[in-house]
Amino acid sequence: MHQLAIESLTARGFRNLEPLEISLGPGFNVFAGDNGQGKTNLLEAVYLLATSRSFRTGRLLELVAHGQEAAAVRAAVVEEGIRREQSVGLRRGLRAARIDGKRPASLAAYAVNTPVVAFHPGSVTLSTGSGAERRRVLDRIALYREPGVLGAVEAYAKALRSRQRVLEQRGEHSRDLDDWEDLLVRHGQALRAHREAAAAELGPAVEAAFLAIGPEGSELAVRYAPGGPAGEEAFRAALVRDRARDQARRSASVGPHRDDLVLELNARPVRGVASQGQHRAVVLALHLAEIDVVARARSVRPILLLDDVSSELDRGRTDALLRALSNRSGQVLLTTTRPELMEIGRLREGSRRDFRVIAGQIAVA
Amino acid sequence: MSPKVRRLVKLLARLPGVGEKTAQRYVLWLLTSEESLSRELGDELSRLRDELGPCERCGNVGEIHEGRALCDVCTDGKRDAKLLCVVARVHDLMAIERAGAMRGRYFVLGKLLSPLEGIGPEDLPLDRLVARIREDGVTEVIVATPPSVDGEATALLLKRELGPLGVAVSRIASGVPHGGDLEFADPITMGRALAGRQRL
Repeated sequence: MHQLAIESLTARGFRNLEPLEISLGPGFNVFAGDNGQGKTNLLEAVYLLATSRSFRTGRLLELVAHGQEAAAVRAAVVEEGIRREQSVGLRRGLRAARIDGKRPASLAAYAVNTPVVAFHPGSVTLSTGSGAERRRVLDRIALYREPGVLGAVEAYAKALRSRQRVLEQRGEHSRDLDDWEDLLVRHGQALRAHREAAAAELGPAVEAAFLAIGPEGSELAVRYAPGGPAGEEAFRAALVRDRARDQARRSASVGPHRDDLVLELNARPVRGVASQGQHRAVVLALHLAEIDVVARARSVRPILLLDDVSSELDRGRTDALLRALSNRSGQVLLTTTRPELMEIGRLREGSRRDFRVIAGQIAVA
Repeated sequence: MSPKVRRLVKLLARLPGVGEKTAQRYVLWLLTSEESLSRELGDELSRLRDELGPCERCGNVGEIHEGRALCDVCTDGKRDAKLLCVVARVHDLMAIERAGAMRGRYFVLGKLLSPLEGIGPEDLPLDRLVARIREDGVTEVIVATPPSVDGEATALLLKRELGPLGVAVSRIASGVPHGGDLEFADPITMGRALAGRQRL
């Protein structure tokens, strides 16, 4: 397994953060501070650096500090002993990512370069919310396994929108409906195969991670639930059958856009039965499993960003999580309001670095 | 800026890939460099639409004689009239011609199916295509629409619409470029190349 770590990080014009320059350790990096000081902003900056996106918002301009024109995050990233310089800059209408000063082929290509996994209070919707976010997890994993997935995802989405538009504007007897459905079947089948393979790897890893960090006596089962029938012919037949209905409902009834990764706690659906604490444990298990699966696919352990875990989990589960992470040997950046709960120094001597975050300033503690 | 200059800048800036600044550079260049350049250009431009137009048979750029436009591919007697290549745009036709490997003739659709842009089958010149196939006794149609989602849908539509005519319909292959190292192929192209592999 290769070692992947951010060695140093600078940020300018990013939310409330003062211009910063910090060196990170290869193991645990603990950022302590009261609420509203900028801890989450720091993790968001790292996430932006790695993916050119935010885990909080789709409107990236929010990331630019008030009164500033642009935000820029830059870092030295070391993978397998080789150092590279990465940067992401944002300004109105522009998002520029660079690796060693060069433009990546695409932002998607950029995002798989430095795998990160983020756990934050908002990610609980992965367990409580609709299938859309779980599909994204599956696609992300599929993408690490095989970069060509992106083509299938995009082509399927466009064919789906096109068929819907034909249905709504030209009706179910339009001559080209068959053609769009042919394309839906072709790309949908490819997408389904990718997701099935991703789920087959992810599922057992989630179940194992939940055993390690979840509450005693509860068991999590994970399975891929396709949003349409198996096989080309059955899928095509279902599309043809549902034309009138899809036209009326204004969306297609069957297909991979309705896939889900079903989560069951002691044989009952997590949605509805789980407590807040259980949902968080489920999401953490998903993230830990994602780390393991991506690590296997890419031979490199993703960087883990943990936002405010101590408020999310109780003492016992925080300990279990940190134990599970110590065995995984990747770089971790975590924030907390209560650094005294983070007793990880014992577990991995010398691999912990402490920082204090106060009013947007970050200092070594 | 003189209103005349401003007007010319505005006109030039309507060309694809030309912004106001570039347009202004062009105007100043035309004003200050050799006089013959701007005069010749002006002459050519003013005659352009009288002398050239879309070929009435295929849609390629053709010369107008006695009110009819025909392109040099359609008037080239050495071309195989039974082989017809369907492309989306004149640019694509020119790219295929540059390769010099096409011995048949062309048909330019002008657009692709694209419900998201409001383009349906009725907006494509399918009737003209069918008439052309019948007139020339075409036996094979090569569909060379781009490998995008809209291009694929258009190819499928053509296959379905032309099938009953009894012509062979084929689709150009998609894959890695010649002479390039495989390592530079993007993942989607590589995936297509693998999916479309041929038995040795």
